[in-house]
Amino acid sequence: MATKSSWAHRLLVLPAALWLLVMLVLPLLVVFVFSFGERAPAGGYIPAFSFDNYLNLPARLTAFKNTLILAPLGTFAALLIAYPLAYYLAIKASVKIRTTLLVMIIVPFWTSILIRTYAWIYILGGRGIPQLLDWIGIEGVRLINTPYAVLIGIIYGYLPLMVFPIYVSLEKFDKRLLEASEDLGATPMKTFRDVTLPLSIPGIATGCMLVFILLMGEFLIPALLGGGKVFFVGNALVDLFLQSRNWTYGSAVAAALVIIMLVTVSIYMKLVMRGAGQREDVSLI
Amino acid sequence: MGMRIYAIVIYLFLYLPIGIIVLFSFNAGRHASDFHGFSVKWYGKVLSNPFAMDALTTSLTVAFVTALLASVFGTMAALGLQQFKGRLRVLFDAAIYIAIMIPGIVIGIATLIALVTAFGYLNPALAAAWPEWLGDAPRLKMGRVSLIAAHTMFTMALVIVIVRARIAGMDRTLIEASADLYATPMGTFRQVTLPQIFPAVLAGFLLSFTFSFDDFIIAFFVAGSETTLPIYVFSSIRRGVTPEINAIGTMVLAVSLSLLIAAQVMLRRRDRPAPTES
Amino acid sequence: MKDDNKPITRKEFMKQLRRYEKGSISRRQFLGVTGLGMATTVMAAAVPSLMPRKAWAAPNIGDRVVLATWPNYHEQANFEAFTEATGAHVQVNVFGSNEEMLAKLQAGGSGWDVGEDLIEPLDLSKLPNYEASAFEPRFSDAGSVNGKLYAVPKNWGTTGFVVNNKHNKGARMTSWKDFWDRTKTDYSGRTMVHDYQLTTIGNALKYFGYSFNSVDPAELADAEKLLLEVKPHLFAINSDYQPPLRNGDAWMSMCWTGDGKQLNTDIPTMEYVLGVEGGEIWSDYYAVPRGAEHREAGYALINFLLDPAINAREVQAHGYPVADSRTNALLPKALLEDPILYPAQELLDALEFGAAATLTDPNRAELLARFKSA
Repeated sequence: MATKSSWAHRLLVLPAALWLLVMLVLPLLVVFVFSFGERAPAGGYIPAFSFDNYLNLPARLTAFKNTLILAPLGTFAALLIAYPLAYYLAIKASVKIRTTLLVMIIVPFWTSILIRTYAWIYILGGRGIPQLLDWIGIEGVRLINTPYAVLIGIIYGYLPLMVFPIYVSLEKFDKRLLEASEDLGATPMKTFRDVTLPLSIPGIATGCMLVFILLMGEFLIPALLGGGKVFFVGNALVDLFLQSRNWTYGSAVAAALVIIMLVTVSIYMKLVMRGAGQREDVSLI
Repeated sequence: MGMRIYAIVIYLFLYLPIGIIVLFSFNAGRHASDFHGFSVKWYGKVLSNPFAMDALTTSLTVAFVTALLASVFGTMAALGLQQFKGRLRVLFDAAIYIAIMIPGIVIGIATLIALVTAFGYLNPALAAAWPEWLGDAPRLKMGRVSLIAAHTMFTMALVIVIVRARIAGMDRTLIEASADLYATPMGTFRQVTLPQIFPAVLAGFLLSFTFSFDDFIIAFFVAGSETTLPIYVFSSIRRGVTPEINAIGTMVLAVSLSLLIAAQVMLRRRDRPAPTES
Repeated sequence: MKDDNKPITRKEFMKQLRRYEKGSISRRQFLGVTGLGMATTVMAAAVPSLMPRKAWAAPNIGDRVVLATWPNYHEQANFEAFTEATGAHVQVNVFGSNEEMLAKLQAGGSGWDVGEDLIEPLDLSKLPNYEASAFEPRFSDAGSVNGKLYAVPKNWGTTGFVVNNKHNKGARMTSWKDFWDRTKTDYSGRTMVHDYQLTTIGNALKYFGYSFNSVDPAELADAEKLLLEVKPHLFAINSDYQPPLRNGDAWMSMCWTGDGKQLNTDIPTMEYVLGVEGGEIWSDYYAVPRGAEHREAGYALINFLLDPAINAREVQAHGYPVADSRTNALLPKALLEDPILYPAQELLDALEFGAAATLTDPNRAELLARFKSA
């Protein structure tokens, strides 16, 4: 099957390869090239080679800081909240209602994330939760336009993405292991620590990875629930391209974001791989 | 018991905003923040509003074409990649990895500036080379095509990953047997390979459609003067939400739900035991 | 109520208006700058503009027209009447700012086409309701180049701030100094500023008594310092300030004439204040972007909105003054004497038009972006 089939295979891959080249590789190269350029007076690009745009990155330090704090924090919070739910669904919930419960987690996804996030403006705004708290005697709580509001929005938006991978990894393993552990006299806590948790690590790793990646580029949730005060790199980028039309500096910010992501994710994957002892089923993507 | 209460609380958390959206979609008042009694007038308004409907059509078209292109090219690539080894393979894998890792906002920005720059060079060249008897030269600009191209790039990478995982778990002996029985490669593909990878292709198609339909941030940069449903919603949100937006959300939800229930019913009717995978 | 601010007659007022030449987009600039520079100038002054899109089946004007404009800037019933009369639906597209609209128009087109104007000279035969003599030349002149009209005045207005006096503990505010100082004290966490460099930076500059239009680095540095000091005390940086002001989350915000009027009408404790130090006066125009495939619906809509009776309804909805004497003749006297729409002369004296150079100044854009991401 030598040459002929090999040509056929090349042809099969060709459209995808071209597509990736034109719509991914070239655009990223343009960003990279622009990031060393100079801003034209009207906002375009003037060819140049300078590091000014990169040297100016500290002007967006807070945006990077917010992102690098709230993205991992949001990921962790989503994990903490999602895990018990995934555990319940995979192990405790009766098989009869399990599918329904799973589907019910996806259903909210089918209303635009924009509209759902906007609904939180009411819930967190002065006439929502703060008023309820006021009613029961806790006064002066402000949620909307704070990092807490953004965090709640993040957890809300990304919870399902965290639940599913963990559910899959918990659902897959042999429940007899749990029984065996109990039979051997292990406390539920010990069973969880020594059996359940290690077996669900692939799911945790995938979920965290997924949520973290998406959070690093988040724009909508901070824009709607942060009132322009809780700024992510994503928001800074939108401003740079749609307000100040500073393509070259914007390119440098985008390049920095990509580099930070690649580095953190690579470190993370190394750690997970080591932690999981090179397990095959730790599929991160 | 404690776990069940916990689950109920989480579900309440997930459905609270949905409840608010649905509730306010029946608001008789104009301001979304105050409830002025029950009315379905906003549904009528949306359905007779050509812009909302136009945005919906644009979104559906873009999502469908994206899903089609992504699943066809993605599946082709996943199949072809089996025979790829060495440097090319590493490069390709790296590209897929990057496509999935890069935040949508960076994809949007990169596509915008790359295409706008390219059009800046191409349009004058095109105008110069265009034969006069054909009339004015077409002007390349951002729009539906650029949006589909950007969405397809990202979703195609997803399809490749999904289908490849399926191929990896596929029973290869069947393919060899088929080849041994002198089936043509095309025949083997149709009779053996495709049925095995089909669930993955379908999953990839649906995922691509959903992603494209709901994407705001890439479209925000790449769609030019086209308005997709999320862009329509976003610009409406900025001018102060009327219950019209809630009605849109509720209808999208209702349609997806009915499709889901229909699919469930159909699956049940076929009554096929779920394949047990290890 | 505020009878100490004796309303002036319209004629006197317009005479006064002519004096506010300083820093405005002058006709000379308008003529001299070509290409993108010009487009920027025009767009800066020409929001909202009309962007008609492809019509479906093509009976007369098509079935839709896209209007790029600001929130709360039109009477919805007028659009419905237009649809009823012509069959064309009006889509209102709202942009966050002039800059965003410009960026989108440019990117949505075919790149940085310096040398191509973004809007076209208006075909007056399609605008029978436009009567040049009825318009105050101060406003209509800015819309023409070489005797060709590119944009017709929609309305004008001022930028001050609105404050809910329910929370002011008896101490009224009259200046930008009050605005910024009280944001740091008793209005902390309750103040909003625009997500818009021209006004947010301009009014911070007024705190120090600098020009609203300053592009001087030292003065901008002062403004930035003030903005950064105030930022922790802000409720939000957002130009859509009506919802939080209405539901009580925010107590004070930078504000345009019409929003001030709307809020004051619905909530009497909301007061519209023009800072004694000055601030912004501006005018908006209707224009048709070049290359719009089916312009007919656009012209029809502009013509419709120029009808004095329709325009009078617009004014009563949005609460901004117009430069069309025919429209004013139809407006109730109370509105023409309203101190929010027609502020006292000494307050107007201090106002400046936003200059084109200010609007497009990259340093000011970057300053606002830094402030937001700080």
